Amino acid sequence: MTLLLVALGVGALAALAGAALARRWRVAVASTLGALGCVLAVFAAVTTLRGGATTTFHSAQVLPLSGVSLTLDPLAAWFILVSSIVGAAACVYNVGYAHGALASRPAQSTFMLFTFSLIAVPSASNITTFMFGWELMALSSLLLILTEHARHVEARSAALWYGVMTQLGAASILLGLLLVSSHGSAQSFAAISAHAAGLSPATRSLAFLLVLGGFASKAGAVPLHVWLPKAHPAAPSSVSALMSSAMVAMGVYGIIRVGQGLLHGGTVWWWFAVTLLGVVSAMYGALHATTSNDLKRLLAYSTIDIIGLVLTGVGAAGALKDSGQPMVAHLALGAALLLVLAHAAFKGALFLAAGAIDRSAGTRDLDLLGGLIHVMPVTATVIVFGAGAIMAVPTLSGFSSEWLLLQSFLHGFTALSTPVVIVMLLGTVALALTGGLTAVAFVKVIGIGFLGRARSEGAANAHEASRSMLVAMGALTIPSVFLGVAPGLVGAWWERAVSLALGRSSDPYTPSTGVVLARLGGAIAPAAVLVALIGVMSLVWLLSQNRTARHARRVDAWGCGRDGQTSRMQYTATSFAEPLQRVFADVLRPQSDVEVTHVVESRYYEQSLSYESRIVDVFEARGYRPIIGWVLRAGGAARRLQNGSLDRYLAFGFGALIAILVVG
Amino acid sequence: MTSTYVATLELAAGAVLLSAVMTLWRRSVSSIVAMLRLQGVALCAVAVDLALHENDRALLVTGALVLVVKGVVVPTVLRRVAKWDPRSRESRPLVNVPASLVFAAGLIVLSYVVGTRITSLSPDDATRLAPLGLATVLVGYFMLVTRRRAVSKIVGLIVVDNGIALVTFLLTSGVPLIVELGSSLDVMLVVVVLQFLMASVRHHSRIDALTELRELRD
Repeated sequence: MTLLLVALGVGALAALAGAALARRWRVAVASTLGALGCVLAVFAAVTTLRGGATTTFHSAQVLPLSGVSLTLDPLAAWFILVSSIVGAAACVYNVGYAHGALASRPAQSTFMLFTFSLIAVPSASNITTFMFGWELMALSSLLLILTEHARHVEARSAALWYGVMTQLGAASILLGLLLVSSHGSAQSFAAISAHAAGLSPATRSLAFLLVLGGFASKAGAVPLHVWLPKAHPAAPSSVSALMSSAMVAMGVYGIIRVGQGLLHGGTVWWWFAVTLLGVVSAMYGALHATTSNDLKRLLAYSTIDIIGLVLTGVGAAGALKDSGQPMVAHLALGAALLLVLAHAAFKGALFLAAGAIDRSAGTRDLDLLGGLIHVMPVTATVIVFGAGAIMAVPTLSGFSSEWLLLQSFLHGFTALSTPVVIVMLLGTVALALTGGLTAVAFVKVIGIGFLGRARSEGAANAHEASRSMLVAMGALTIPSVFLGVAPGLVGAWWERAVSLALGRSSDPYTPSTGVVLARLGGAIAPAAVLVALIGVMSLVWLLSQNRTARHARRVDAWGCGRDGQTSRMQYTATSFAEPLQRVFADVLRPQSDVEVTHVVESRYYEQSLSYESRIVDVFEARGYRPIIGWVLRAGGAARRLQNGSLDRYLAFGFGALIAILVVG
Repeated sequence: MTSTYVATLELAAGAVLLSAVMTLWRRSVSSIVAMLRLQGVALCAVAVDLALHENDRALLVTGALVLVVKGVVVPTVLRRVAKWDPRSRESRPLVNVPASLVFAAGLIVLSYVVGTRITSLSPDDATRLAPLGLATVLVGYFMLVTRRRAVSKIVGLIVVDNGIALVTFLLTSGVPLIVELGSSLDVMLVVVVLQFLMASVRHHSRIDALTELRELRD
């Protein structure tokens, strides 16, 4: 605990340094302190995960009413690990990345506040501390989205969307927590957890639904996701990396902490709802990711997809626990937690790499990129590893976590209750379908963005990012490989976190570097797969070296009968996704405009032809726009009440007084 | 002794309300201000009567303060403002005089209906009169809303303040001196500010009906 407090203290120092120092030292000092604080937090988290002990801290002086309460238990430690790993990388990245508006005093100190609020939220253990950390996280990220509003005009509307959604979410969470805390009139999590059994089932369900709404919106679950594909691309990349990997994880943390920790699991229908949210999010996110051409928007939608899978795992765990299969429940929640950590690492690396590309090529539109592997080899390698992990290529982190998730779904089919079987079925379908779609999206990113030839001047003149940015991206690749090759080494860690949430049960794992589920029958050994792969590939390489040495013959590539291939003859990101867009036209509802200008002399000949195709978020267009319309109309009607006349305002006051006297 | 006390108290409290209603009835600004002076004196009488009855010296000081501020200073300042335009009358109130009086009657009935709940908490001679104070507040507020001239509006505001003071005197035998001092100075400040405001507005545009000032906010 001391280590965590020191880490938070160093974080506060970093924020101060960002606010106080002169421009020359500001970024370097603040980032160094920030990275140091995050590394300390990693150690604090690892110590707790290794030992499994729960430590607490309480100070009545800092916050009013209840004081600050922090608790470091394995579940909190797991999420602190997630935030602090990405936080450390983002701080290192910040050294080379921050310039212009992002290097200003407010931006740097807000960035540090945001980073450390992500570490404070999981450790909070009473309502006031939790909501304080939560609001700090929400407001600091809101400000950071606006950092580059001069460069990206869309940042303003993104910030508005985000601000409204996050505040509604926070209000909903607060309402839910107050509902459960009012019963025992205690606001520490431990006391709430002790009193929760005395609540009526209806109150508990209402509280869970309220809390779920808030947390699901933060996690980016469809249909509460609309802010995410706007806000994540609009923020500076170091911030989007944190938002996309650590902040959405806080939503998942909240659902687990309140649903399992405070309310002890509730009924199977809660978790059915969570799974449903997860399945819809996974499929919707994956689908939009395949058709997005803006690299960061694509990554944002893929976040919705992965978090959807995580929620499916969390839902499955809850449902399985309620139906009396604790071991499989442990497996499902463990898979979800592992996926959260894996996602944080690879999505963080991908967002940081996207930032490097945006900075160096001046665009993140895949249709304007191409050939970057030649000019940005290290960034390209990071993207390849990240994409491999997200596509669940064996020996990378996405594979081990998604395999575990699939195992839990398959073993869960033996449940006797129908809703649980439906949950398992939905989960399996979502996992299978999104796996394919994600692969399409990231093959597109690598194939269109990094291979082939440059499609724009910017892409042709791009250059490798600065050293600190490369170090940060490279460092975030390490967890992807480690969790892919030897997930078993940290198996006991996440099992401790899971035990804290679900209660103790017989451990499903058998110690090994891979994952061995001896009692359930299932095992993977990615390390062995890696060795075998390396062996086979070296053999193939040796053989081919041998053959090509004898038979190599150099000829010109066939140019389809033309000389001078240009970059416009290449496949583009839009054309790559077009078949899928056609297949899923009912869901995606693509809109296209064709504009034809005729030659003046004859209408049979065309002078120019322009074609535009866009995909709008169907939830935004059908669900949110009408609501916004109503609100605006109500606002317009309310404006008629005030015409600036003093008499009228006085009359309102008089009328209200009379009404209160009469009614009261 | 007791009956004199009660009779005086009833008479003074009644005078406060009566003068509030009379401000609605009179049109010329100078007689409205005269009514206000009467109200100040009556309020002072309430305070002094209570002070003598309860041997409360602080309340006696408060009474003197009320007399100085509400019976002398404020009416004098307002009279000076009114003198700038001797023909100034509340010529077109938003609700005309007969309707205003009917309305005031309604407000007094309402105060008694609502006030019984307050008086039933501790029924004694002073508390029994609390609805009069409430009625004064409502009548003052009504004046504030329906009269157009700035001076009349300020009179409405002071009537509200006097009503509140009456209620506090009757229910709690007066708030601590420091609070009364604060609120009296507040009212005086408002009146002085009004004096300067009216002077400068008249200087610029020769308008003093506030309804005509709507365009100024832009």
